[in-house]
Amino acid sequence: MVAPAARRSVTLPLMTLLMRCGPLTGQNGEGRVLFENVTLELEEGRLTVLEGASGSGKTTLLRQVAGLEPAPGARRRLGERELGLADLPPWRSMVTLLAQDAPVLPGTLRWNLEFPFGLRNAGDRRFDEHRARSLMDSVGLAGIPWDREAASLSGGERHRLALVRALLWDPPVLLADEPFSGLDPDIAGICSELLHRQARRAGRAVLAVLHDPALGAGADRKLRLDGGRLEAS
Amino acid sequence: MNAGLIQLSPLDLLVASGFVVVAAGISMGLKLGIERRLGIAALRTVVQLGLLGLVLEKVFAVRRPVVVLAMLAAMIFFSGREAVARSTRRYTGIGLDAWLTMTVSCLLVGGAVTQVVVGVRPWFDPQYVIPILGMILGNSLNGVSLSLERLLETLDARRHEVELLLAFGAARAEALRDPMRAAVRTGMIPITNAMTVAGLVSLPGMMTGQILAGAPPLQAVAYQIVVMFMLAASNAFGAILIAYGASRRLVAPDGSLRLERLRTVEDRGRGGRKR
Repeated sequence: MVAPAARRSVTLPLMTLLMRCGPLTGQNGEGRVLFENVTLELEEGRLTVLEGASGSGKTTLLRQVAGLEPAPGARRRLGERELGLADLPPWRSMVTLLAQDAPVLPGTLRWNLEFPFGLRNAGDRRFDEHRARSLMDSVGLAGIPWDREAASLSGGERHRLALVRALLWDPPVLLADEPFSGLDPDIAGICSELLHRQARRAGRAVLAVLHDPALGAGADRKLRLDGGRLEAS
Repeated sequence: MNAGLIQLSPLDLLVASGFVVVAAGISMGLKLGIERRLGIAALRTVVQLGLLGLVLEKVFAVRRPVVVLAMLAAMIFFSGREAVARSTRRYTGIGLDAWLTMTVSCLLVGGAVTQVVVGVRPWFDPQYVIPILGMILGNSLNGVSLSLERLLETLDARRHEVELLLAFGAARAEALRDPMRAAVRTGMIPITNAMTVAGLVSLPGMMTGQILAGAPPLQAVAYQIVVMFMLAASNAFGAILIAYGASRRLVAPDGSLRLERLRTVEDRGRGGRKR
């Protein structure tokens, strides 16, 4: 039997399906339904851009997929693995959200790059300082000493720091919620290129919400959240 | 050595109430707006302690375990209620958590001190059990209310930091480590302060009482050390248990935050705020 959620989901000729999450139903703070029975599927090696009017529920959708907001009844599948509610922490470590406001932890810039690697779910992932330096260099943060308090970084610097950390973490699925806001066009272009490169690697996929349509020009696939439904655009 | 007491007359109490009047006058003069609260608090002190005196006389006279236990239950009830009464944020079940914390702290620390350290015989002797457990509850209450306030404030104001940890796969305990640490540390401030300055700045309350009542100073010191350690334990238990309980209600086992369960209470006094 085909569930209603599956019928509504986007059915494009799939490459290798990497991640599947749904059915998802989201509401805003006032209880208005933003989207209903939406299932998100991401294919390996592709950058998917999620579009939609402001207030259409893009952030809520990303947060539900990331497992940071309750998604009752949703099933989560990564590769061949089906993950239940008890597996949410490992799920998050593999389907990682790059949050919109680019928060930082109290402490130094170095700590903010390194902390995920000390978590229990980090497994055998190790912090690669050499790669970190080279990424920081490419996003224009080479000049900032690593012992500086992360809280003193500007908004744009925080977004770049968050992107570098996410790339170092290198999760199978990266969900990026407006990762380039507050960046100069030049820097945003470089960051966008890094995100594209990450998406096209084997065993990886990226879903991004971008405020500037130009940055998503080279996306492999575009989805649109509109009127409570997720459609190819 | 005179082991007797200088008796206090109602007139002495009236003179002492002048201090509160002076404090209220200062509050009015400086427009601090606390004179009403101060007045109510002073009135509560008189009524509550007066009633306590009457009840204690009866309890001491009857000397039956069931009466002592009933009195302890009432003390736990009020201490739990007061521990969360002034909290600026609430969640469903906050009262239950406070009562559970108080009960556990009371049974563990109170049981150990009265039955093992002091060795009260019979085990329920109200002259020892009630004042000792009163001190334990009073300190747990401090620990609970400070720790709770700090934890809820941290979870509320710094939810993005907690979610950042969660987003990289942190387990609940990992994501809550810093908020819990801050809460317990804050909850322990009164007792660490009290232990640090004990005997240097302040003559602690129980020792003062015993010396006033004519006990030998060294014996009073021995009791006070027991009391200090006991209070440290009850304060710590209170701070830790409530932080544990509250965080388990506001953060799901999978780590997702349930902050919609948290609501801000408008301060009934001046300077109240709404969310």
